[in-house]
Amino acid sequence: MSRQAQSRTQPITRRPADTEGQDEICPVCKSSRYLTPSLRFLINPECYHKFCESCVDRIFSHGPAPCPIPGCHKTLRKHRFRTPTFSDLQVEREVDIRKKVAAVFNRREEEFEDLRAYNDYLNEVEDITFNLINHVEVEETEKRFKSYQLAHQAEITDNVALAEQERTSFAQLQKEERDQAKQRRDAARREDAEEKRELVENRRDVLNRLASGQDAEVVAKEGQQVHLKKRMDRVAAAERQRVLQAASNGSSNIVIKGLKARQKQEPDAPIDPFGGLSYEGKYHVLQDDYVWAGVQESKADVLIGAGGYDVRAFTGRALCEAFAGLGVFVADEMDDRDRQKMGDEKNDEIATKGAEVAASKGASTAKGKQKDTVMEDPF
Amino acid sequence: MATSPALDVPVEPPSKRQKMSSEPEFSSSPAPVADLAEQLDAQERKMYVKGKKIGSGQYADVFSAHLVSDLKRLVAIKKIKVGAEAKEFGISYDSLREIRFLQELDHPNIIKLYSVFSTKSQNLNLVLEYLPQGDLLKLVQDTTNISYTPADIKSWMLMLMRATYFCHQNFVLHRDIKPNNLLIAANGEIKLADFGLARSFADPFQVMTYNTVTIWYRPPELFFQAQFYGGGVDVWSCGCVFAELVARDVLFRALPENEINMVKLICEKVGTPTEDNWPGVSKLKGYVTPSEYIPIRSKDQWMMAFRAIGETGVDLLMKMLTLDPRKRLNAEQVLKHSFWTDEPRPSRLEDLPRKGGGVVAMGEELTKMGGEIPYGKARGDKVARKIDFGA
Repeated sequence: MSRQAQSRTQPITRRPADTEGQDEICPVCKSSRYLTPSLRFLINPECYHKFCESCVDRIFSHGPAPCPIPGCHKTLRKHRFRTPTFSDLQVEREVDIRKKVAAVFNRREEEFEDLRAYNDYLNEVEDITFNLINHVEVEETEKRFKSYQLAHQAEITDNVALAEQERTSFAQLQKEERDQAKQRRDAARREDAEEKRELVENRRDVLNRLASGQDAEVVAKEGQQVHLKKRMDRVAAAERQRVLQAASNGSSNIVIKGLKARQKQEPDAPIDPFGGLSYEGKYHVLQDDYVWAGVQESKADVLIGAGGYDVRAFTGRALCEAFAGLGVFVADEMDDRDRQKMGDEKNDEIATKGAEVAASKGASTAKGKQKDTVMEDPF
Repeated sequence: MATSPALDVPVEPPSKRQKMSSEPEFSSSPAPVADLAEQLDAQERKMYVKGKKIGSGQYADVFSAHLVSDLKRLVAIKKIKVGAEAKEFGISYDSLREIRFLQELDHPNIIKLYSVFSTKSQNLNLVLEYLPQGDLLKLVQDTTNISYTPADIKSWMLMLMRATYFCHQNFVLHRDIKPNNLLIAANGEIKLADFGLARSFADPFQVMTYNTVTIWYRPPELFFQAQFYGGGVDVWSCGCVFAELVARDVLFRALPENEINMVKLICEKVGTPTEDNWPGVSKLKGYVTPSEYIPIRSKDQWMMAFRAIGETGVDLLMKMLTLDPRKRLNAEQVLKHSFWTDEPRPSRLEDLPRKGGGVVAMGEELTKMGGEIPYGKARGDKVARKIDFGA
């Protein structure tokens, strides 16, 4: 009965979870909040047992000591004791673990190329967290955690720096925005005052002119026009100002988050030094030697050989030219060409007709640029 | 002037070469007043809108332009200046060569010639691909702002070698391969340009000029005045470009730029050409070597200077810079070398370093004559022609 009365006397100062009696009593010295209202409880993240401040002082001020709770053999140090944020110590512990894990697994969404990879990563992080919280395979998980930390040391520090930078720039941005809003308000206020002053001035001016004996109607009309004009000017100026401001800090407060822009990663084809060129003669095969006086004599001539003149280049050319016209039907090719021109007017090169005709000699099937690569002889 | 063996094109008025107009047949048009050639020319000319001048030289002006039908399709129009020479001899050989070969070659790593037309007073206009990223030389020289990796070098060299291989397969010798003739397209691709010194492969016993290729990139057989040569000359130039990309300096920078100094430099850096390592070399007309004999440089010595490209890279470089053109790899063998497929993989186009200054650089580049030394202002830059392509 007396308990109920107590809880009613101080309903506001108490947190709801504190209503349970054992939370109010230090397990070591058994002093309770009822007798000492200034009692503060501390916990140590080593084992999350809760002691009152005076017990912590007494037991641990001479250095590390074992936890006084029976059955808990953890060694505790005084400097690690702190006030718990949550009254539920399970929650306290979970939050601590999550903080610790998040500090190491701090990769960002931008680092991933597809959603799948990002989700896999998040899943892995959650697995580790879950295991640590619920004491599942703790040792192995710790090992995984450590190895990740070791392997990604550089990235982790990078991301920490990045996050810090973002935080500060965000704060700065907010401050700037506040400043600008204030400036806008001030400007509006000044404008209002100005407008009022001008109105009064205008009126006085009109009165003066009337007093000096000018035509009443004209004066009134003019006065109105002047007033109107000034006002329009002001509106235009304000508008300009607004546009300028919008441009200066336009997109600054938009933060775009998301996956890394996807880059096409095609596996590179093996290098073909010839770039697709091929000069296999379709109708002729070049022999090493030809029994013809011209060829034989030039082969024998020291002067010709020493200069690097290659007789094979000559015989090759002669053969090529002899056979270049075979299988070429100019009429067909012109049809082809016309059709192609209709087809891909846009990407077709404005190659000269001469070149085109020559180019299509080799094989009329190839198209566009490819056509030229099979050219056998342009001459 | 006698016809040059270096030029096997009959010189004819430009209007006759306008086979690229879209008017297909004679029968389709009634041919009212102007003659057909002029009509076709006008038609071609009206396809482009000429814009700002992006480069101007003694030899040509370069304008940026776009298609009438599509404002986004940019092209460069190289307008060849008519000079006193033109009045006397017609169009210059350089432009003829350029038109002749570019018209036929269509490869991703070779600058495209879309069309040719003439304007009033018989000016020749070449419509070329628009290459806004400058040239390779700018990248090589800007050592402070640009750094690139061996993978980038491999990527560039691969593109260059593909272009060279394509030319050779189509029996065209470029004869002026050097970093500032390698323009860079908007997507980072290398484009071989300036076919002003190109020619097609010669028949046996047909004499070719040995006075070609920019002197620093010229192979030893041309210094020895060989009149019969082949694709090896381009491969040597490619080798020089390769070395220059690695060392970021011209490999054979002879100063003052004359043949004697070049031969000396090649002997120093590669070795003295002798009958042993180059059978028949002493028979060549201009065979001279410094009195001091320098043995062929060993692979270790090459490795010292070009470690960056690895052992296979140095192996390829050595084989591209072999003295004897017969032992030198040809373009096909170069492409078959294991260097290209080894690690590191050539950089992708989008990863290659870029440099601004592009359009202007392209403008400058296209105005130049072949065979000019690209570095700074040298004595004699103002001299009309340094090289006589005549024979």
